[in-house]
Amino acid sequence: MNIVVCVKQTFDTEAKIVFDSQGRIDPNGVNLIVNPYDEFALEEGIRLKEKFGGTVTAVSMGGARAQEALRTALAMGADKALLVSDPALNDADEWVSTQALAQAISKIPYDIILAGRVAIDDGSSQVCVRLAEELHLPSVSTVVKFSVEGNKATAVREIDGGTETLEIELPVVLTAQKGINGNEPRYPSVAGIMKAKKKELKTMTLADLGLAALEPKMKISKYDLPTPRQAGKKVPGEPAAAAQELVKLLHEEAKVL
Amino acid sequence: MPKGIWIFVEQRDGQIRKSSFELLSEGRKLADQTGEPLVGVILGEGVESLVKVVAAQGADKVILVEDEKLKNYSTGAYTSALNQVIRKGEPQAFLMGNSAAGRDLAPRLAQRLGVGLASDCTGIEHDPEKFLVFKRPIYAGKAFAYTGTTVRPVVATIRPNTFAISSPDESRQVEVERETVTVDPADLKAIVKEMALATSKRPELVEADIIVSGGRGMKGPENFAILEQLADVIGAAVGASRAAVDSGWREQKFQVGQTGKTVSPTLYIACGISGAIQHLAGMGSSKFIVAINKDPEANIFNVASYGIVGDLFEVVPLLTEEFKKLVSA
Amino acid sequence: MDEIKNVSLEMKDYIASSGAETLSWCMQCGLCTNLCPWRLVPGEVSENFNIRKMQRLGQLGLEGFEEENILFACVTCGMCQINCPRKVEIIDNVRSMRNTTVGAGFLPPHLRPIAGSLHANGNPWSGEREKRAAWQNGLDIPAFTEDTEYLLFVCCTSCYDTRSKKIATSIVRLLKAAGVNFGVLTAEENCCGESIRKLGDEELFQKLAQGNIDLFKRKGVKKIITTSPHCLYAFKKDYPELGGEFEVMHYSEVLAQLVKEGKLSFPQELARKVTFHDPCYLGRHNQVFDPPRELIQSIPGVEFVELDRSRNKSLCCAGGGGRIWAEVPMGERFGELRITGAVEKQADTLVTACPYCIIMLDDACAGLEKGDVLQVMEMSELLCTALDTK
Ligand SMILES: Cc1cc2nc3c(=O)[nH]c(=O)nc-3n(C[C@H](O)[C@H](O)[C@H](O)COP(=O)(O)OP(=O)(O)OC[C@H]3O[C@@H](n4cnc5c(N)ncnc54)[C@H](O)[C@@H]3O)c2cc1C
Ligand SMILES: Cc1cc2nc3c(=O)[nH]c(=O)nc-3n(C[C@H](O)[C@H](O)[C@H](O)COP(=O)(O)OP(=O)(O)OC[C@H]3O[C@@H](n4cnc5c(N)ncnc54)[C@H](O)[C@@H]3O)c2cc1C
Ligand code: SF4
Ligand code: SF4
Repeated sequence: MNIVVCVKQTFDTEAKIVFDSQGRIDPNGVNLIVNPYDEFALEEGIRLKEKFGGTVTAVSMGGARAQEALRTALAMGADKALLVSDPALNDADEWVSTQALAQAISKIPYDIILAGRVAIDDGSSQVCVRLAEELHLPSVSTVVKFSVEGNKATAVREIDGGTETLEIELPVVLTAQKGINGNEPRYPSVAGIMKAKKKELKTMTLADLGLAALEPKMKISKYDLPTPRQAGKKVPGEPAAAAQELVKLLHEEAKVL
Repeated sequence: MPKGIWIFVEQRDGQIRKSSFELLSEGRKLADQTGEPLVGVILGEGVESLVKVVAAQGADKVILVEDEKLKNYSTGAYTSALNQVIRKGEPQAFLMGNSAAGRDLAPRLAQRLGVGLASDCTGIEHDPEKFLVFKRPIYAGKAFAYTGTTVRPVVATIRPNTFAISSPDESRQVEVERETVTVDPADLKAIVKEMALATSKRPELVEADIIVSGGRGMKGPENFAILEQLADVIGAAVGASRAAVDSGWREQKFQVGQTGKTVSPTLYIACGISGAIQHLAGMGSSKFIVAINKDPEANIFNVASYGIVGDLFEVVPLLTEEFKKLVSA
Repeated sequence: MDEIKNVSLEMKDYIASSGAETLSWCMQCGLCTNLCPWRLVPGEVSENFNIRKMQRLGQLGLEGFEEENILFACVTCGMCQINCPRKVEIIDNVRSMRNTTVGAGFLPPHLRPIAGSLHANGNPWSGEREKRAAWQNGLDIPAFTEDTEYLLFVCCTSCYDTRSKKIATSIVRLLKAAGVNFGVLTAEENCCGESIRKLGDEELFQKLAQGNIDLFKRKGVKKIITTSPHCLYAFKKDYPELGGEFEVMHYSEVLAQLVKEGKLSFPQELARKVTFHDPCYLGRHNQVFDPPRELIQSIPGVEFVELDRSRNKSLCCAGGGGRIWAEVPMGERFGELRITGAVEKQADTLVTACPYCIIMLDDACAGLEKGDVLQVMEMSELLCTALDTK
């Protein structure tokens, strides 16, 4: 079975957002990690290979530092890695990212494409559904459980207030929710880390993929930061009045309910 | 010339979802600001009765697509249908709620149309050049991006609870356009076998949007029932401090904190939790924190957005009642 | 049953290249394993973690040492190391073996936010960098200038943890009472990096340490007082490797000297039965045993008792080596043994002199519900109570 896992390198969850002189988010000095949801996707990809045999290819689009993310994937057990990297992709929107990834993946044999449900940085939850569309494949998003038998997959996904079970013919794109199939992403062995250093990690530019520069559909005009958290309020009054006031504040001021 | 602001009216079993009401309400305002017509798009089977509801909520026109393949939501059939009506009607903007269905449908639709999509937006503004500019939280809410485009139509999904619902006007007249679509068999490759709406199932702790947590102040395992009642009213998960776990009142997998789960829900309600640094490490990035503690000096009040100083055994049941009123309103 | 594994020269070289220089000196006598505090508690970690065996696997280049319960179990208490007949630098070996995975980017999941916060904020507690010195508001603490004698370096924990802030403010009060010429640079400092280095993240350690060394040099710092024995260790033993040579003392050393010189005294009588827990990083690692005892005993009215395991034989609180961030089930926490020990001695106050020990001992005391018979106090807090004349 041939498995492709989409791996995005993202800012560390603890990272601070700072803007550069042009008002864009500055990645300098920021610790980068593998998008946590993609680690779950990797784990499932490697387990599929362990069960059915085959090859796991990790694919990422990003700058040179994204090689680290792919090395992580290789150390965990992916067999090959491909980085799509090109200065022309610096302003990529989700559509551009999809075109580049789709073109790269279309050159790799696949039965299942796994991805994260969302990237924790730009957080659009778009790329892999778009990818499926571009490759004319069915997709199931936010998968909590799945199994494969023959050329069919059964997947359970989260929907608002419940779950839905789907049956799909392969090839298919699945995006992983945390805790998919009850597994935790593995911690690689030292042997795995050593082996990863010798595995294939290819880099391709847009030209290598036979693509010209792509004009994004969406343009970000500016970024800003949320207003710093207000000093807390203690809601005064007798318990009943306070409870009533609190719910009102949550509804009208915080708008969380 | 593309025309109109279109709203995807999401229905399940003939019930329009709350997020669609929110969008229609805000869409009305945008339509008035821009002079564009507001159009509601309803997909389903036997859902004609929804037309007047959508009209009352502010639509100038309703596009109604009825087909047995559209009875229940499926990504393929819905994409296929929307792609056809959008290509035909050429709206300026197509907006939907960022529900599970919206998250699934919007990217596929946008890709098929070859257009941009602003996901999970928390604000929309009129812009002379781009028509609409969308505000999106990025980096888990640590920053915002403002994004727009001149490519038409622009698709966007809007986070639930972003906009208030205006009161319906039953007297509104509306133009109804019935459309027929053909669903491409290639779009039916994923077959829904089963849908389980588990009303009582609490969300997973790490993914929950609201979490209610209890600490040593809960005094005993049996008392967590009052937190569970509160949680079930607002669809929250139930967490615990390590003190509650150490005491054997909750399982370790529900521990929130540095050596437990890291969570960042929109709302975190801490009951009888003092706010030790290890606990804060696991939930400090929650958007809103509510603390209920009888000690006014408790550290949790230093990070809480709202706090009630009082006995949780008195306050929590009262809160549950208030939430019930709000939810049923 | 252990499965049969192949000896790998390559792995052996890889481990050696991570810095485990004395690994080959070990003759496998097993003394270390027997002295290790993990033998005193039951449970999974205790069953899996055997330092002699872990080093053996490393010597031979065998897989299996990197399992989280093995590789990240050592609390770096140093009990084994000071007794090793071959003078094996066991703790260096532990940190180097950790570096084989951590250096490649793999920290166990629960430690990633710690490293992430150190990268982003310069402290492990997810505290905002801008708020590092917020606890000093209203305390009138002088800034360090060229004319200041001592830099007071305050542990991250005491800058951000509400409980721990009391340690910092107490130390400030004592230094002021004794007329010490000191100042702070808190807002500009990083975490000392001691614990993250023990966890094997050498790169991050160097980034933090270099920032501090540059700062100290720029400001003309020559002498440093630390509030935590962990910072003491880092500045004394780690920073010289990076060219940071300073005269470093723990606050207990400075205060004890001042008491001897008659510049500090404690007028308030305290009718307490006090016992002392030697922090590993103050005692075994830095051989500071007497100053805290002298200080405690200089308080009138205090009855002092030793714990059964004290000084070089002190039992670790389990907060070293990055274990301050590790989950351990009740019944397996070393701190519980310390609390029980203190209660057995019928002490009403268990004093220690380290912010990490305070976290671990407070936690154990609350867990065992011994709060009504035993109070856990940092030494500076006890001394401050004795400073007040009524
Ligand atoms: C410097 C910079 C400039 C940008 N400029 C713009 C701009 O001008 N306009 C604009 O609209 N957007 C811009 N973006 C955002 C960019 O569009 C998104 O980062 C990108 O499209 C991926 O979308 P996402 O992060 O929302 O991923 P999601 O769709 O949330 O990701 C879901 C899953 O898809 C896969 N995936 C996503 N991205 C990748 C990837 N790169 N490689 C491999 N797998 C991946 C992963 O499995 C991931 O879990 C910019 C981003 C950066 C960093
Ligand atoms: C290595 C290590 C790791 C740790 N990891 C974690 C972790 O992951 N998560 C975590 O939570 N902790 C963790 N801790 C423990 C942490 O230090 C605290 O001990 C713990 O969080 C305290 O839990 P608590 O707030 O429930 O209890 P307490 O601190 O005892 O607080 C109870 C609170 O309840 C209030 N209260 C009591 N009765 C009532 C009432 N009737 N109505 C209203 N309020 C009431 C009290 O005023 C008090 O503030 C860790 C500790 C260590 C040493
Ligand atoms: S005590 Fe020293 S020589 Fe003996 S097994 Fe341990 S490390 Fe090796
Ligand atoms: S340093 Fe302490 S915990 Fe680590 S192996 Fe030696 S005795 Fe055990």
